[in-house]
Amino acid sequence: MSAAIPSVACLGVIGRNNNPLHISIFPSYDPTANAFTPIRNPLQFSLLLSSTIDVFDLRSKTSTASGDFGLLHAIDDRLAAYGFETNTGVRMVCIVDMRGRRVEAGGSGVAGPGGGAAGASTASSTSASAAAARSSVGSVGAGLRDSEIKPVFRAMQSAYVRLLQNPFYDPDEHAPLGGKGGRRITSKKFGDDMKRIGEAWTPGVTNL
Amino acid sequence: MDGYPLGSLDHNVPLIVVSGLSSDPPEQPPKAKGQGVLLRSDLPPLEGKEANFLESYFEEVDERGKSWTVVTREDHFRLRVKTVGRTFVLPSRRATLPETIEPLTNTPILHSPFSPLSPSSALYPDGLMNAQWIKKHQEEIPSIFVCFHTLTSDSKIAVQQDNRLKSALNGMRATLVESGYKTRLVVIILGDAEAKANLTAEIGQDRLEGVRRGTGLDPKSIFYIPPQESPSELRRVMDSIFALLYNTAIEYYRDLGRHARKKRSRGIVPQPTLPPTSGTSQTLSLPDWNFRYDFKSAIFAEFRQEIDAAIRSFEQAYEILLGQDVLDIIPSWSPRWNEARLLADIISIRCLRLHLWMGQTSLAVRRWQSHRDRISDFVDRRGRGTNNYGWQAWESRWAMVMANMIEMVEVPGLGPSTMTIFLQPEKALFGERLQPWELLHHTGYWYRIAARHLGARRTLAHRIPDDDRGAPDASPASRVASKAIRYDTYMCPPPHEEYPLNGNGINHAQLMIDCLLNARGQFQARKQHRIAAEISLECAREMATLGSWNEVLAMLRPLWEDKSFRSEWWLDISEDILWVMRRAAAETGRADIVVAIDWELMNERFTRRKNWHYDLAKSLDGVSSTSRPFITISDDVASSFISTSFAFRSKEGRAGETCLAQLSLKSEALQAAAPVTLSSIRVEFEGHLKPITLIHGSDLPTSSSEAPVSVTLVALTEQLGGDAKESDQSEKEDKNDGDGDEDKAKDEDEVEDKDDEKEGQLTGKCDLTLRPGHRQVFEMNIPLREPGQASASRVVLTYKTDTFELDYRLSLSESGKVTGWFVQGATKPRLSRPDGHILHIQPRPPKMKLRLVEPLGQFYANEPVPLRIGLYNEEDDSANVKLDIRIVGKVIPRFRVDAGEHKREVDTAEEESQVTGLALGHIDSSSSLELSIHLDPAPAPTAFEIQIRADYHLESDAATPIVQVLPIHLNIVNAFEANYDLMPRLHPDPWPSLFDYEDLQDVSDGDVIQARGLAQQWCLVCHYASFATEDLDVIGLDLAVTAVTPGGRCQVVNQPELSADGTIVAPKTMYEARFGLVAQKITLDDRHPVAIDLAFVVRWRRRRQLAEGENNTINVTTMTVGQYMVLGTEPRVLASVLHSSQEQAGLVRLDITIENPSSHFLTFGLVMEPSDAFAFSGSKQTTVHLLPMSRRTKTYRLLPLARGVYIRPGLVVRDKYFQKVLRVIPTEGMKIDKDGLLVWVPLALEAEEKAEG
Repeated sequence: MSAAIPSVACLGVIGRNNNPLHISIFPSYDPTANAFTPIRNPLQFSLLLSSTIDVFDLRSKTSTASGDFGLLHAIDDRLAAYGFETNTGVRMVCIVDMRGRRVEAGGSGVAGPGGGAAGASTASSTSASAAAARSSVGSVGAGLRDSEIKPVFRAMQSAYVRLLQNPFYDPDEHAPLGGKGGRRITSKKFGDDMKRIGEAWTPGVTNL
Repeated sequence: MDGYPLGSLDHNVPLIVVSGLSSDPPEQPPKAKGQGVLLRSDLPPLEGKEANFLESYFEEVDERGKSWTVVTREDHFRLRVKTVGRTFVLPSRRATLPETIEPLTNTPILHSPFSPLSPSSALYPDGLMNAQWIKKHQEEIPSIFVCFHTLTSDSKIAVQQDNRLKSALNGMRATLVESGYKTRLVVIILGDAEAKANLTAEIGQDRLEGVRRGTGLDPKSIFYIPPQESPSELRRVMDSIFALLYNTAIEYYRDLGRHARKKRSRGIVPQPTLPPTSGTSQTLSLPDWNFRYDFKSAIFAEFRQEIDAAIRSFEQAYEILLGQDVLDIIPSWSPRWNEARLLADIISIRCLRLHLWMGQTSLAVRRWQSHRDRISDFVDRRGRGTNNYGWQAWESRWAMVMANMIEMVEVPGLGPSTMTIFLQPEKALFGERLQPWELLHHTGYWYRIAARHLGARRTLAHRIPDDDRGAPDASPASRVASKAIRYDTYMCPPPHEEYPLNGNGINHAQLMIDCLLNARGQFQARKQHRIAAEISLECAREMATLGSWNEVLAMLRPLWEDKSFRSEWWLDISEDILWVMRRAAAETGRADIVVAIDWELMNERFTRRKNWHYDLAKSLDGVSSTSRPFITISDDVASSFISTSFAFRSKEGRAGETCLAQLSLKSEALQAAAPVTLSSIRVEFEGHLKPITLIHGSDLPTSSSEAPVSVTLVALTEQLGGDAKESDQSEKEDKNDGDGDEDKAKDEDEVEDKDDEKEGQLTGKCDLTLRPGHRQVFEMNIPLREPGQASASRVVLTYKTDTFELDYRLSLSESGKVTGWFVQGATKPRLSRPDGHILHIQPRPPKMKLRLVEPLGQFYANEPVPLRIGLYNEEDDSANVKLDIRIVGKVIPRFRVDAGEHKREVDTAEEESQVTGLALGHIDSSSSLELSIHLDPAPAPTAFEIQIRADYHLESDAATPIVQVLPIHLNIVNAFEANYDLMPRLHPDPWPSLFDYEDLQDVSDGDVIQARGLAQQWCLVCHYASFATEDLDVIGLDLAVTAVTPGGRCQVVNQPELSADGTIVAPKTMYEARFGLVAQKITLDDRHPVAIDLAFVVRWRRRRQLAEGENNTINVTTMTVGQYMVLGTEPRVLASVLHSSQEQAGLVRLDITIENPSSHFLTFGLVMEPSDAFAFSGSKQTTVHLLPMSRRTKTYRLLPLARGVYIRPGLVVRDKYFQKVLRVIPTEGMKIDKDGLLVWVPLALEAEEKAEG
C-alpha cells in the first residue's frame, strides 16, 4: 500500500515591496494519472504566494522575533503555506502539498522526480528522510510540525545570503527603496538552489 | 445543509407542549381519526395580558431552542416549546395495518409507524432509519405536557369549577397513560388579580391541594403562579419553572435512551408485522438493528445535552453503518444505498457539531476529513467512483456543510472580528503531528473549497456524453438503466437535469459565484485583501462565462483602480486581470477602460498573447461606442509602455539665455506591437517655464534609423498666450546633435519679444513615431525667461485615431529620479544625475553698467554732495531703462536728481528717501547716459547708503526683466575740529558806581537799553585743525554768540583778520584764533551770572574747485564752542602786567585788581613775598577794603633780576574774614601753575617792542 507524504509544491521569495522575487514550482504526485504534475498552474501559485502577504501583514503585528511565522494558513485540505521573514523584510514562503509524494509502505524509497539528481550526499539524506517519513506515516494523520519546515527556510536563507554576496546582485534593483515593484531574481544558481531545496525536502529532513 | 431532510440535523432539545393559552387557533379538526391520541379538555383557554405575554415568552424560548450554539451551564434550560389550545394530538404509537392486505389469522404484532417493521412505514422492510423518527421526538411527542389553568375566584362556583378542572386533568392523564407515552403532565395555575383580591392564601392553598389530590399529581407537577407585578417578574417565575421542568424533561429522555439500550442489549432481531412481499424480501439484520438502537440512544443523549454519550453512540452507529455488515452489503443501485450514505452524513454532521460544541476544533476537521475519505473509499469500491460530477457535488456540499456549521455553531474565536485565520488545536491534540488543514480555518476557506469542487463538478458534468443528457422518456430504457448505474445521483440531479441536452441545467457558475462571494466576504472581513482579490478574479471569470459583463466590470474595477498586484509587479496575475477586464470592458462598450488596458498591455513585461494585434489604432475595433470618446488616463491608473524622462543639460541656467533639454521617450512595447504615432506631447513644468508642446509632423522625415536610440533636435517656437496669430513656425530638423550649438543663436533670433504676456507656450514639430524597443530623444532649446526653479512635472502624451482620442499623463516629478543625457549612437545616457528634471534659473546677468563718473572722494559736512552716475549700455540691444534711487540714512537732506529732461527733487526726510520709476527712456546699445544726484549739505557728519537700481528690458526681449544695481556708501565727516579756552582779561573801563544817578534813564522809552551793569573782558582761544584729506582755503573765521542769558549782553570785540584769499589750512595741523569778548550785564542790580553760548564759524572752500572754476561756493562750518558762565558774584583777583620802556628797561608793573561784584563789604590781606628773582616796590603786606560793587588795584613794581624767564611773584591774596586764599588770575603775558602766578620777563629787545606795541 502506498501512502502520501508531504512535499514542497512551491517555493517563493517575496521582496520588501511585496513583489515576487522568485517562484519555483515543484510537481506533485497525481494518483489518478500516476505521474508527477504541478498541482496548480503558475498563475495560481502566484496568487497563492501573493495571498500569503496578507497573512504576513496580519501576523507581523504580533510577530515573532525570529522571523519564523510557521504555518501561515492552509489553503485547503492539501496545500499549506509556511512563511519566514528575514530582517530586511524579504519573505520566504514554502507551499507544502500534504499529499505531494508517495511512499510505498514496503519502504522502497521516495518516489520523487529529483531524488536521483540530487547527488550522493543528498541521496543518503533522502533515504534517511524516507525512513523518517515512513515512521511519520505510521503515526496518526501523517501531519506536519512547523519545525519540520525550518530546514527549508534555513536553506533558502543561506541561498539568499549567497545571492546577496554576489557583487553583481543589487538588492535595491529588486526592491527599490520606497518604490514599488522590483525585478525578479534571475540568478541561475539561486534557482538551482531553490530547486534542490524543494526536491530534497521531506518531513524529517534536518539539513538541506 | 439544505439537501438534508428536514429535522434530521436539528439541535435536539427537550420538547414541551403548552396548552390552554388563548393564542390557539380555534379547534383544529383532529388529525385523521384513530391515527393519534387526542388530548383535550373542555375548559376554556386562558385569556388576558398574562396569557399574551406568556405566549410571546414561549415563542422566544422556542426560538432560542432552535439555535445551534452549544448549551452551556449558564443556560438553565434550552427547550422547544409548542403552544396549543385545549387540544393536542399525539401520534399513534402503533401503525395500522394496510387496508389492502388480507385479514390475518392471528393478531399481528403492531409496531411504531416509523419502524421498518411496519408495512406502512417508508422504511419497510429494510430501511435503516430516517429523519421522520427524529422529527417525531423533536416536534410531536413532548416530554412534558403543560396545561395552563386558572382558579375561579367566585366562591359560589368554586367547588364546581375545581371539580371540572379535576375531571379534565384526570381525563388527560388517563389518555396519556393509555397511549403508552411517558409524557409528563404538568399543571400550572395562573392566579389573576381578581383571585388575589378574593382568595386568601389558605383558601387558595387548600383549593390547589384539593386539585392536586383529586388528580393524583405529584407536588412537583403542579405550579401556582400568583399574579405578578410586571412581565419581567412573570418571566423570572416562568424561567424558574422551566428550569425545574427541564430536569424532568431530561429525565424523560433518559428513560427513552435507557429503553433503546435495553432493546439493543436484548440482541434479537424483531420480526416485521408482515413479512415483506414486494421487492427484496430482505429484512434488517442484527447489525442494522444495533445501528438503529445506537443511533436512537445517541439522539436521546443529544436531547439530554450529554455530548460525550452522544458522540460515543454516534461513533458506534457510524462504525456499524460503514462496517462490513451494513453499507457494504447494500447494493449501490438500491435506493437504500443513498439512504445509508445520507445517514452516514447525518451522523458525521452531528458528530462534527458535537466536536465543535466541545471546542475540539481540530478533531472536528479530522472527523470531517475522515468521513470524506471513508465515503470516497466506499464510493470508489462499492459505488460509482469519485470521478464523476456527483462526487464533486457531494464534496462541495461537504465543504459547505462545514462552513455553515462553523457559522451556525458560532465557533468561539473564529468570528470576523477576531481577525483569526485559523484556530490553534485543542489541548488534547497539542503536540501531535497535525495536518495543517486540521487547524480549523475560517469559513472563507471552506467556501472556497466548496467553490473549487463546484468547478470540478462542472467540468465533469460537461463531459457527460450527449446520449446521457437526454430526458429519460426520450431515451431507450436500456440507456436509462445504464445511467442509473453509471451516475452517482446522491443528493444531486441526474445527468439530464445536471446538464441537459436542451434547456438550462444546473447553473454551476451561479453556484460558484454565490460560494465565492461568501468566501470573499469572510476574507475581506479579516483584511486578507489579496485572497479577496483573487476570489474576485475567480468570480469575474465565472461571471464572464455567464456573460454578465457589467458584473465582471464591477467586480474587477476596484482591483484595477487600486492597482492591486500591478503595483507590486505580480505580472502574471495582473495580466490575467487585465485581459478579463478588457474583455468585459469591450463587451460593455467602456472605451476608456479598453484603451487604458490596451495601453498597459503593450508593455513587454507582459507575455504576448497569440494573434493579438497590439495596435492602439485597432483598440476599439468591435467596441460599440456612440461617439468618439476622449479618454484621459494617468500613470497612477494604468502603467505605461512608454517610459519618459526629462533632463536639462545643466543644473543651472540664466534667464534670457536658453537651456538645452532632452525629453526621452522609450517604448517598452512588445516587439510585435505596431509602432505608435503620438499626435502631440506636452511637457508641463512647475515654476517659471512655459509648457512645451511637440506636434507630430508627418511631412517631416521620419527617423527611420534602426538604432535603438535616436536623438532629434526640435526647434521650438514661442507662442504668447492670447495671441491668435499663429506665429510663423520655422521648424528645423536636425539629426546631428553636434550642430546644436549653432542653432542656439538662431533659435534666439526666432524668439519673439512680447511684453506682459506671461501665458504662452513653446511648440515644436517633429516625428513622434515610436517603434517598440526604440528610444526617441527630443532635444530642445528652451528659452529661459524668469529666474527661479523650474522642474518638469508631467508629460501628456496625446494619441488620436479616428475612433478615439487619448491623453496619457505621466508624472515626471519623482524626486531623486536619475536622468541622463543621450547622444546619438549610444544606447545609455551619459552624465546621469539625480533630479535632472530640475533647473535653477539664475536671473539674467545685467550687461548695463552703472558707474560713478568720478571716483568717490571724501565729502564733508556743510558742503553739497554732487554725484554723477553714468549708465553704459553694453547689451547687444537698446534697452528701456527705469531708475530707482533710494537713500537710507538718519536724516536725508533734500536732493535732486537730474537726468537730462527728467528732473526730480525730494525734500528732506527721516531715515529713507527715494525716487522711483524715473523713466530714462531708451539707451541704445553701446551708448551711455549720465545723470547727477545733488545732495544738499548735511549739517553734521553722517553716513548715507545710496542704492541706484536700473530696471530695464531689452527691446528684443520684453518678457525678461533685468536689474542692475549700484550701491554707494557715502560717509560725511566734519572738515574741522577745534578746542577752546576762555581766558579772563581785565576790562579797562572803570566799574559803574552804585550811586551814579546820571546814568539813570527812563526805561519806558523802549529804546535800546544801554548796558549799565558790570562788564568783564574775556579772550576765547580757538585751536582748530582741518580733518580733511587735502588743503583747504579758510576764507574767514568768526565767533558767533549764539545765546546769552537774558539780562546779559555779550559781544565779540576783536577777531583775527584773514586775507581775502584766505589762508591755506593744511590737514592735521593746529591753528589758533583768538577772539576778544566783552560780557556785560544790563543793570547793576542783576546779581545772577550770565551764560553765554558761543559758536566758532569757519568759512572755507576746496582748493580744487577753484582750479576748475566751476563752483566757487564757500562752505560754512559752524562748530559750537559750548556754554560759559561769566559775571559771577564771587570776588576775583586779576593780575595784569605792564612792561614799561620809558622807565628803565626791565621794570615791570604788576597790577593786582581785586573785584568785588558781591553786595558785601570785603577785606583782603595782600602779602608779597620777597624773591631772589626780582626786586619789588610796593607794600609788602597790606590790607585792602572793598565796598560792594567796587574794585581796587594795587600796583607793584618789579625789577626782574633775570631776563627771558618767568618770575614768580609770591603774592598771596587772602580774604580776611573767611581766611581764604584767593587765586590770582593771570591775564595777558602771564600764566599760572600750581604754585602760583608766573610773569614772563621778556628780553630787553622784546620788552621794548612790546612796550611800543
